[in-house]
Amino acid sequence: MDLVKWARIKSPWVLHLNTGGCNGCDIEVLAALMPRSDVERFGILLQGSPRHADLIVCQGPITKQMRDRVVRIYEQVPEPKFVMAIGSCACTAGVFQGCYNVLGGIDKAIPVDVYVPGCPPNPAAIVDGVMKLLTKLKES
Amino acid sequence: MSEIVNILLAVLYLLVFPGFLFLFFYGLFCEYFDRKLYARMQNRVGPPLFQPFADFVKLLAKEDIIPEKADKGMFSIVPLFAFAGVLTAILYIPIWRTDAVLSFEGDLVVVLFLLTIPSFALFFAGWHSTNLFSQIGAVRTVTQLFGYEIPFFFACLAPALIMGTWSISGILSQTVIRPEVLILLILAFIIAVISLQAKLERVPFDAPEAETEIAGGSLVEYTGRRLAIFRLMFNIKMVICAALITALFLGGPVLFPAVPGPEFIGYLLGFVVFLLKTLFVVFLLTMMRTVFARVRIDQLLKFCYGWLIPLSIVQFLLLILVRSMGWFA
Ligand code: SF4
Repeated sequence: MDLVKWARIKSPWVLHLNTGGCNGCDIEVLAALMPRSDVERFGILLQGSPRHADLIVCQGPITKQMRDRVVRIYEQVPEPKFVMAIGSCACTAGVFQGCYNVLGGIDKAIPVDVYVPGCPPNPAAIVDGVMKLLTKLKES
Repeated sequence: MSEIVNILLAVLYLLVFPGFLFLFFYGLFCEYFDRKLYARMQNRVGPPLFQPFADFVKLLAKEDIIPEKADKGMFSIVPLFAFAGVLTAILYIPIWRTDAVLSFEGDLVVVLFLLTIPSFALFFAGWHSTNLFSQIGAVRTVTQLFGYEIPFFFACLAPALIMGTWSISGILSQTVIRPEVLILLILAFIIAVISLQAKLERVPFDAPEAETEIAGGSLVEYTGRRLAIFRLMFNIKMVICAALITALFLGGPVLFPAVPGPEFIGYLLGFVVFLLKTLFVVFLLTMMRTVFARVRIDQLLKFCYGWLIPLSIVQFLLLILVRSMGWFA
């Protein structure tokens, strides 16, 4: 395994982005970032700016209002970048399916690498989702 | 012949030890030490030893973006400028014996000046990114500068006052002769460590880069290798500031009492003592980061002007009294 790939796997910095969810998944993502699950041991750090991030953690369905903004934030993240969809809403629009202002899951706007279903998913499941993504990267 | 040897030696000093290579690894190690300690104090495991190195390599390999509206020249030159500034400062700080690689009467002021460059670099970086967040961060950086810089200068000049010399190596050799003077400087030491925390823009004085309000401050637009250089520069700055405080207040690489034996053993031991003392300063900084929460920028200024500066003046008066009475001479 070459050095760059190793470094990429060891240091995924995340950007936390709500695209229109009910805030339930946000709280679970924050809980996953708290000392209890200690994601820093995998090198995961929360970043404020999309420019610094490698991994966008999206929650909630894509609303019509949010679509352009999500695409713009996606484009602001430097390559290589990955996207995680957290929660049933982010996967399929969940309970908001069919609303007049909702387009659907995150993959309606930007490509998604990992889906973590649940309403909301357990913090452990979110961390597990990141680990699945890293394993996928390792094997690629 | 001796010309060439001198030049080679200078290159060695600049690029290998105590210059770039040593600072690179020690800076990354200090970041690891800081983060690990922070994690342990929060009762978690924390990052592995190679973590800062992995972050650095990853950032080097990422896409490099310059915003369309940004001033391209400034945007790319500023990180290198700051980096060069902090690297130069190490040459004046004693690392393995009482005198540094270079020293002259007044190098203390030069080092203090060189350590100010990163703050201005941060200001220019933020201002020329033409991002709203980064400009707010840039302005806060400079506002904060006016708060911490005065007590930091006062605290660092206190040893110069009592030892009667303006060179760091000179202060250190005076410390060897009369170590009991260090007791007088405890107040200055405390002020220096607190204002150093503000200088490094770490919690609780990290309003200029508050992630939750202004998304990372001045560096918002930086990506890839420029961000990597900035982060490395911050680590090295932490090391150098810790080394400066070690040299001024903690006796630098001097071991009390001195061990007999050949010279190089003394140097080696001195180096180990230096590492331990700088790690102690980093430990104090981490402690502060763990225990306190972020203060607002106006609270910081109030604290600096209301407490730190008066206290440093008290320290100055004490030292002047001691000097004029001829105690500790
Ligand atoms: S998945 Fe459930 S908890 Fe998460 S945003 Fe949607 S409705 Fe809220």
